[in-house]
Amino acid sequence: MPRVGGTSEPASAAEPGGIRVQGLGKSFGERVAVEGLTFEVRPGEVFGLLGPNGAGKTTTVRMLTGLLRPSAGEAVVWGHRAAHDGEALRKVVGLLTEQPGLYDRLTARENLRFFMKLHELDEATVWPRAQHYLERFGLAGREDDACGGFSKGMRQKLAIIRTLVHDPKVIFLDEPTSGLDPESARTVRDAVAELAAEGRTIILCSHNLAEVERLCERVAVVKRRLLALGSVRELRRAGQALEVRVEGEAERFRSVLSALSFAPGVLAEGGRLRVLLADEAHAPDVVACLVGAGARIHSAVPAQRPLEEVYLDLLKEDVT
Amino acid sequence: MSGAFRPRRALAVFWKDFLDLRKNVGLLVSMAVLPAVMVTVPIGVVWTYVRQPDHADLRTVALFYDPTLPLNVSAARFLIDKSLTDWFGMFLVMPVFVPILIASQSVAGEKERRTLEPLLASPVTAAELVAGKSLAALMPAVAITWVAFVLFCVGVDVVAWPLVKAPLMPNALWGFGVFVLAPLFAFFGNGVAVIISARVSEARMAQQLAALVVLPLVGLVGGQVAGVLKAGAGYYALEGAVVLVLDVVLLVASIRLLDRERLVARWG
Repeated sequence: MPRVGGTSEPASAAEPGGIRVQGLGKSFGERVAVEGLTFEVRPGEVFGLLGPNGAGKTTTVRMLTGLLRPSAGEAVVWGHRAAHDGEALRKVVGLLTEQPGLYDRLTARENLRFFMKLHELDEATVWPRAQHYLERFGLAGREDDACGGFSKGMRQKLAIIRTLVHDPKVIFLDEPTSGLDPESARTVRDAVAELAAEGRTIILCSHNLAEVERLCERVAVVKRRLLALGSVRELRRAGQALEVRVEGEAERFRSVLSALSFAPGVLAEGGRLRVLLADEAHAPDVVACLVGAGARIHSAVPAQRPLEEVYLDLLKEDVT
Repeated sequence: MSGAFRPRRALAVFWKDFLDLRKNVGLLVSMAVLPAVMVTVPIGVVWTYVRQPDHADLRTVALFYDPTLPLNVSAARFLIDKSLTDWFGMFLVMPVFVPILIASQSVAGEKERRTLEPLLASPVTAAELVAGKSLAALMPAVAITWVAFVLFCVGVDVVAWPLVKAPLMPNALWGFGVFVLAPLFAFFGNGVAVIISARVSEARMAQQLAALVVLPLVGLVGGQVAGVLKAGAGYYALEGAVVLVLDVVLLVASIRLLDRERLVARWG
């Protein structure tokens, strides 16, 4: 069973916006790419989709954008069923693919105009929005340059603008800051936060866990199936570590704690003990055990493990 | 998963592909080579006959094709007429070949440039994609054929005038061929290229494979020149009917092959 966080509940299924995924699966012949995914994302939420390469993130996104038909389950994206309302669905979603996928011989303006035309938008009305993003991402003045001459970062930024040009309600971003310098990456992160604040639903696929931590309210860790789901804070606590500061050398209490069945790991360093717990409900037991062993405790707080550590542990657990 | 056909989206695909073609100098040069050959070669052949109309060998060649050729009929004129009729089959290679060059780039090229997924993530349907891309390949092909035809007519008439003293071209056969058969043949070349480029990963490979379809056409012309096949209005009308049927089959197959699921699962 996946670990599921409980404090930041998503919107109810009745809410028209957002995403509702129920038992979603996809097989290519005998190969199962994704199975039994269930989660919900509410309007205005930035949701992280994490997993190693080949975990099924891209397949999931493709099902949610109407590019692939699910083999099992159902996904409703902004009121449109992914399996049946592909065309209507694609009008409300924006997809930034891993590769920018620009037409090199065409100028930035022509690339954007093409997608405006595909969405049957009035270019005169929509262009100011494109111009706004061009200015924001530092591409103003380069509209009439062929994309073939753009740097990797410029291409990525133009691809992001192309994703946003039809004012999508649901935005899928695959590694949005890939290839960007720190300043541009920050601009993109700020833009993502603003888009979410406007009520859009954003799914972020990234291997940049620091970025995910910064941007996403909740994340799903997938590896073909759902390994974990919850807020970043919940997942960071999901490792159930307790950080205890004791008087004197902590090392002398290590053997006492290691004997506890619910504490599979203990680290001691100076006056600090880091106790891994099978369940955070055992935290008081750890404290009681230490007091019983004569420890004078200055503080005992749930440890905030880096998301990266939690993520790697989840993947490791899945292997075992 | 596909909805109603929206012409605006098909026109958007056409607009983009046509714009891309206009900026693709290498492809434009490739497209110009074949028409240049198709126009200059027959003009050169006619000029050869006109230069020495009374050469004894010409009658020998003419009698090979038609042993009943009367003595009072000019062998040079007979051979000019035959060359123009036979060359018509060769001329039809052009409307087949040019869309192959373009369509191979436009479909397999989307895969190569990794633009396929963003494109398929837009509301455009498979039918609109096929329509837009086909239009972008067919229009230049037909336009080039017509321009080449005009140059061909002018060239042949200028060169043949000293012998014939009247305009030879355009005649009914060529008119039918260029304005009816050529678009059908162009559609055929485009359909083959779309289908092949939907199945292979590289534009160059798609071009090479699709270009093989001109071989039967060249073979037919070879049969005419060898005297095995006798080309005429009925012959070309039959050829046109066969190609029309193939066009319909190819159109249906292209729309099926440009299905999102299939393309994304395989190439996305």
